[in-house]
Amino acid sequence: MAGPLVAAFALSLFHWDLLSTPEFAGLDNFKQLVTDGATVRAVINTFVFALASVVTHIGIGMLLALGVHRTMTRGTKYFVRTAYFFPFLVSWAAVALIWKYVLDPAFGLANYYLSSTTNWLASPTWALPTLIAVDWWHTIGYTFIILLAGLQTVPAQLHEAARVDGANAWWRFWGVTLPVMSPTIFFATVITFIGAFQIFDPMVIMTQGGPDGATRSIVQYTYEKGFQSFEVGYAAALSLVLFVVIMVVTGLQFRLSRRWVHQ
Amino acid sequence: MKGKLLDLVLVLGGVVMIAPLVWLVVNALSEPIDAFQLPPRWIPRPPTLQNFEQVPDLIPFAQMAWNSLQIAVLTTAGALLTSALAAYAFNRLRFPGRDQIFSVLLAALVVPVQLTVVPIFIMMRWLHLVDTTVAIWLPALVNVFGIFFLRQYIASIPRELDEAAIMDGAGHFWILFRVILPLARPGLTALGIFVFEASWNNFFWPYIFLSSPEKMTLPVGLVSLQGAVGGPAVVLFAAITLVVLPILVLFLIFQRSFIASIASTGLRA
Repeated sequence: MAGPLVAAFALSLFHWDLLSTPEFAGLDNFKQLVTDGATVRAVINTFVFALASVVTHIGIGMLLALGVHRTMTRGTKYFVRTAYFFPFLVSWAAVALIWKYVLDPAFGLANYYLSSTTNWLASPTWALPTLIAVDWWHTIGYTFIILLAGLQTVPAQLHEAARVDGANAWWRFWGVTLPVMSPTIFFATVITFIGAFQIFDPMVIMTQGGPDGATRSIVQYTYEKGFQSFEVGYAAALSLVLFVVIMVVTGLQFRLSRRWVHQ
Repeated sequence: MKGKLLDLVLVLGGVVMIAPLVWLVVNALSEPIDAFQLPPRWIPRPPTLQNFEQVPDLIPFAQMAWNSLQIAVLTTAGALLTSALAAYAFNRLRFPGRDQIFSVLLAALVVPVQLTVVPIFIMMRWLHLVDTTVAIWLPALVNVFGIFFLRQYIASIPRELDEAAIMDGAGHFWILFRVILPLARPGLTALGIFVFEASWNNFFWPYIFLSSPEKMTLPVGLVSLQGAVGGPAVVLFAAITLVVLPILVLFLIFQRSFIASIASTGLRA
C-alpha cells in the first residue's frame, strides 16, 4: 500500500515521457512546481473550491437537516428527503453534461429563470463559482443525509431538560444540538474537504479548466501533465502536492477538533 | 403556521433540485423540433422514443452498459470477498505483525486514488492492460476502506459464537462463511451498495484507462458522445436518461438500504 506513494516519489525525480529512457532530474520537478504559474493557479483554484464547498455544504446541509428533522406529514418528508438526495446518485459525467445544457446562455433553463444573458462557464469571474454551485447540487444530498442521521442521535431528553431549565430554541441549538452533533459535523467536514481537493470530473467535462485556467484543479492539471503532454515525472510531483495538501489540512482539522468536538 | 411556511420553502427547494432531472427526461422524450424550447416545457408532447432508438447509432451503448455492469459486479464481488477475508484475519486471527500491518493499511486510507494513478498506469502499460476493462476492476479488487469497515463490523460479533463452532470442529472458512458473514449481512449490504454505486458512476479511472468506444464504461461513453458529430442534443439526453434512470429507480426501491449504507459507511463515491 505504501507502494504507489514510493513509486510516485521515485517518478517525481525523473523526466520521463513514457517512451524514451527516464532521465534523472533531481529536484527539477519540484522546483518547477513553484515557478509554474499554472500549478500555483490550480492550487489556488482547488483551495477556493474546497473552502467554498465546505462552507456551503455544511452550512446549508445543516439548515436542511434541521428543517427536515421536525414533525411534518409523511408525504412531505418523503418528497423533500428524496428530492435533495436524488442528484447525489447521478454520475458526475451525467451531472456535468446536464448542467452544461442547463447553463447554456441561449437555450438553458438557468438564464431563462434568472433573466440573465451571462455565459456562466465562459466567464473568468463566474466559471469557478458556477462549478461550486453545480457541485453543491450534486453532493448536498450526501452531507444532508449524514447530518440528518447525526441529528437523529440527539436524545430528546436532553432537549426536554434544557427546555425545563428555560432555554429557548436558539440556546437549545447551541447548548444541546451542536455539541452532541459535533463529531458528525467534524466527520462531514473532513470528508467534504478531502472530496473537494480531489475534484476533477466537472472541470474536465464542463470547462476543460478554462477560461484561461480559471477552473483548473490540481488533479486536472496532474491529468493533463501525465496523460496529455506525457510529463510523467512532473505529474507525479503534482500528485504528491495533492497528497501533502490533504494530509496537512486533515491533520490540522484533527488538531483543531480538540477545541470543539465533544468525544 | 410557521411550520407550514417552512414546509413550503423546503418543498419548493426540492422542486428546484429535481427540475434539471425532469427537464432531462422531458427533452429526451421530445421530438428534436420540440426540444429545448423556452419557456421550458415540463410535459413532452407528444412523447416519443425515437431519440432512444438513435442512441446506438452514435455509441455502442449496449456494449458500454455491459462493460459498466461487468466492472461493477466484479469490483463489488471482489471487494466484498477480499474485505471479508482480510477483516476476519485482522480481527479474529493472531499473527506476528498483525497490528502493525493494520496501521499501515489505515494510513493507506488517506492516500488519494489520484496519487496511485500514475504508477498504476505505468504498471498496466507493462502488462499491456491499458484500454481493457481489467485495468479498471483489477486495482479495485482490494478495498482498504472495506477491510476497515468490515473489521469494525466483525468485531461487534461475539467471539463465543466462533468458540462454539470450533468446539464442533469447524475451520476458519466455515466460521467465516457460516457463522460470521450471515450475521454481518447488514454491513455487507451497506458496503456492497456503496462499492457498486461508486464503480457504476466512476469517471476518473475509466476516463484515463479506456480509449476505444467498445471498451468504455457508460460515464466515459456519455462524455465521448458530447463531441459526437451529427448527434443532436436530444439523443445525448436520451442516453443520459438511460444511464441515470436505472439508479434512480433502484434507489426508490431500496431507499432504506441506500440511506443506511451512506449513514453507516459514511463514505461518498
